[in-house]
Amino acid sequence: MNTTIRMTRSFLSKALYFVVVIGLWQAAITVFKIKEFIVPSPLSVFQALFSPEIAPQYQWMTHIGTTMGEILASFTFTAVFGFILSLFITWSRFARAVVMPVIAVFNSLPKIALAPLFLIWFGYGFAANVMIAILVAFFPVVLNTTTGLDSVDEDLLDLVRYLHASKLQIFIKIRIPMSLPYVFAGLKISATLAVVGAIVGEFVASSQGLGFLIKDSQAMMNTPPMFASLLLISAIGLGLFSFIALMEKVLMPWNRPASEELG
Amino acid sequence: MKYLKTPLVIFVLLVIWQTAVILFKIPEYILPTPVSALEHLFLPQPDADYNWVMHIKATLLEIVLAFAVTSVAGISIAILLAWSDAIRRASMPLFVFINSLPIIAVAPLLLLWSGYGLKTNIIIAFLISFFPVVINTGTGLASIEEELLDLVKYLHGTKLQVFMKLRIPNSLPFIFTGLKICSTMCVVGAIVGEFIASDRGLGYIIINSQYTMDSPPIYAGLMLVSLFGVALFGLVSLAERLCIPWARPAGQEL
Repeated sequence: MNTTIRMTRSFLSKALYFVVVIGLWQAAITVFKIKEFIVPSPLSVFQALFSPEIAPQYQWMTHIGTTMGEILASFTFTAVFGFILSLFITWSRFARAVVMPVIAVFNSLPKIALAPLFLIWFGYGFAANVMIAILVAFFPVVLNTTTGLDSVDEDLLDLVRYLHASKLQIFIKIRIPMSLPYVFAGLKISATLAVVGAIVGEFVASSQGLGFLIKDSQAMMNTPPMFASLLLISAIGLGLFSFIALMEKVLMPWNRPASEELG
Repeated sequence: MKYLKTPLVIFVLLVIWQTAVILFKIPEYILPTPVSALEHLFLPQPDADYNWVMHIKATLLEIVLAFAVTSVAGISIAILLAWSDAIRRASMPLFVFINSLPIIAVAPLLLLWSGYGLKTNIIIAFLISFFPVVINTGTGLASIEEELLDLVKYLHGTKLQVFMKLRIPNSLPFIFTGLKICSTMCVVGAIVGEFIASDRGLGYIIINSQYTMDSPPIYAGLMLVSLFGVALFGLVSLAERLCIPWARPAGQEL
């Protein structure tokens, strides 16, 4: 009961904060007569999103669907294959010796600069953007998960070895559960990066998606849909981030997040 | 041996790449050999679009200026936040929130506000690399042993002394972690800025050559961009080792 009240209060204070910020924004636009091609008013952003006369020309549903599809596809791929690759790396010394140096090299590259290459390889649109997002988001998951699988209490390992535990048992009962905080830290970083990757992919070349809409509207100095798209992108990013945080709480209620979330 | 490992890995990857292209007869517009990419840098280029020296200068200037501005501003603001409790409580949640947003999506707006070119690209690089510096430095300044603080208070240390002798030295490992992230992000920011709109820089070459499917300059550009990123990262690591030989890197490098 107490927690419900606290949650409601926290929600209300956040909502109030939100309303105040929007109020200040609208007031600043009206008072200082800021031109719409520089910063639009919240009202015109709202109209761009919801007004039955204006909103349909932006085809919001198509663009949101495309961008969300790209983000979800790349994030799912990253999470699943990143985790599997980390298992390989920690399972076999050989895999580690071969794969880790390559991952370290790739991780230090400015991967987003590779975006134009993916256009040549995969053509315009969905597939190329998913690949760009995967490339950007993939390595933090692998590096974090591998660190997690490695950082196991040596004493614990000695104990189960003494009890004749098999390698598989060590992984299932000790290494994987103990790596979860690191896995989630990696997933959170990747969630943000997948959004960035998808949007930059759409900037570079695409004919659909919120990134395309931002760039397309910029060419016409039409700011309301740009701001509306930014809000939607942030909402999608935060939604994914919160979903991971929720999963983290559900899957390991005993633990607190391992490392800090650095963008 | 430790220092030879990474160049060795890169060299092996380049050799595999070169052999694969020749062996499987991959067409150049899909994947050129590393040799033909590097050749493009050194052969005289009649086309003014491929004036490598000018483009390298533009990108390097953006990266270096963005890194300098971001590190000075980021560290100063983090110190300010640590100094004043009120300011920190008001703004730290906002910083953490902004840090979790895809800031790069704002880039086209900046073009509207400040036009094409150097200034805009520096602002983009600044925006995406600023928050990691502030948050890391802030964490470092805050993570100090309570006993030490108590001891200094007992000895009548002033707030300034606490900062100069305790908090700032203690935060150095965190600052360097932030600067390392910043070094990578500044490169990304500058390149993305050049992708979106610019008339010079390596990002411009990359995107411009993509339109014409002229792939050797794309790869040459990518190699240079990567080289700059790694070099800046290496310089920061070197500075770290010189400034805080006693500490090991804090946190994770993204």
